[in-house]
Amino acid sequence: MEATIPSRRIQVRPRNRANIVIQVTLLTLTVLTLYGLVTIDARNVEFFAAFGDMLANFRVVLFEARLKNLSWFDLFRELMVTVGLGLLTTVFGAVPAFFFALFAAQNLAPRRVTDAVKAVMAFVRAVPTVLWVLFFAVTVGLGAAAAVIGMTFHSISYLVKAYAETFEELDEGALEALRASGANWWQTVFQAVVPSSASAILSWTFVRFEINFSVAIAMGATAGAGGIGYDMFMASSFYLDLRELGIFTYAVLIFAILLEWGATRLKETVGATR
Amino acid sequence: MSLLEIENVSKRYGSETLALNSVAFSVEAGEFVAIIGPSGAGKSTLLRCINRLIDVSSGDIRFDGVSVPKLRGAALRRHRTQIGMIFQHYNLVNRLSVIENVLHGRLGYKNTLQGILGLYTEYEKREAVRILETLGLSEQMYKRCDQLSGGQKQRVGIARALVQQPKMLLCDEPIASLDPSSAKVIMDTLRDINQTMGITLLVNLHQVDVALHYAERIIGINRGQVIYDGPPQALNNEQIYQIYGSEAGELILDLKERYAA
Repeated sequence: MEATIPSRRIQVRPRNRANIVIQVTLLTLTVLTLYGLVTIDARNVEFFAAFGDMLANFRVVLFEARLKNLSWFDLFRELMVTVGLGLLTTVFGAVPAFFFALFAAQNLAPRRVTDAVKAVMAFVRAVPTVLWVLFFAVTVGLGAAAAVIGMTFHSISYLVKAYAETFEELDEGALEALRASGANWWQTVFQAVVPSSASAILSWTFVRFEINFSVAIAMGATAGAGGIGYDMFMASSFYLDLRELGIFTYAVLIFAILLEWGATRLKETVGATR
Repeated sequence: MSLLEIENVSKRYGSETLALNSVAFSVEAGEFVAIIGPSGAGKSTLLRCINRLIDVSSGDIRFDGVSVPKLRGAALRRHRTQIGMIFQHYNLVNRLSVIENVLHGRLGYKNTLQGILGLYTEYEKREAVRILETLGLSEQMYKRCDQLSGGQKQRVGIARALVQQPKMLLCDEPIASLDPSSAKVIMDTLRDINQTMGITLLVNLHQVDVALHYAERIIGINRGQVIYDGPPQALNNEQIYQIYGSEAGELILDLKERYAA
């Protein structure tokens, strides 16, 4: 047996191209990070003092939170504006996305059509949401309208990909059976595709709602879309009121948790019955 | 005129594979035909050419006097309503109830909107319930299909095909995923459908003994060609070996048992 063991070390991981590329990439990133840390321009900020200040600010935000410029009712209203923005853009996105996704799924549409739809959607998705909002701000002006259109745009492309991949996972047999009995394409879609993928579609839509909710906060701050994002922006950069910012942070956090809980419950109900 | 006439049908996949090679036979109304042959012989392709789930490469198929390969759109849908199909893996929409799956057999008769919304007439629903009762599934009517056993699922598949009021049933390995007792129930049901309702049956089977026991006529296929076409009584061991492309004694089945029984 000993004779079969080669004298040099045994290579466990094969020295193929993929592994070499990964190793070179990791090495390059390490070198760049070290270079960045050494040559960083700290502008005379004392590292430890600054770190202490940061922790002190966190303490103010989280433990001394209170309202000043806004009432509790205002807070609730502003939060609902942001939720509304997220919900609206998700619904506006989900409906067209469902139909586009039917033409992007390879088991439902011919290859040429799916390729075209997927290419367009990939392009739309590649541009960040904020950029779409600013792009539409050119035509409709900075504000809620631009945010709705831009966020809807990106939601559509995101959901088309998610839905289409859900459809492609479907059991081909059920589609074949309906086709064999003379059902046409739309009938097959609504009698087999929709019932089989309902819970996955719902869950993807909720994921997008969560994304749109957080994007809506950012849009309130950067694109003048209003809502709690705008108040956070005002509190942090205009009034410099960290304590009020703390309340906004808590409000967003609590709502996000409620959203997650609701989504889980809904998915369970849909998954159990249908 | 025969119900189904298949003339020199060939099906080519790519440039290499010839799934069907000049297949020709005809089937009279009311016949019970079993198609046997090894895996990959072209049995499933043949069935799917008849209802045009697969397009033929050359040749002609005439069903009830209509040439199938040229059918398009509404005419193709009408053709498919005439032919029910039953699958090895049942192909039900698992998340829907039994009765909804059965009513899917009516989709070919409905317009797009009725089909999308699942609007079926009272007559159609009564028919579905009646068929489920005859197949012994009335208690499962509102159960979801993923709660059924394999034998029950296959009976739902048969009910879905029957509610089409078809002239012919294509059965693609209907018992290949079932235990022997469920398989017997399904085969007895199919024979009953054939004898009492006069529906023509074309059944792909892996089990030669089952084919010999139930069918009135056997078609043996190997490498896309018809090797045998005749009554089960005339089929001898030599021909079975030819169909399965194997030497004597290499098959589990031997016909001696049949004569002994």
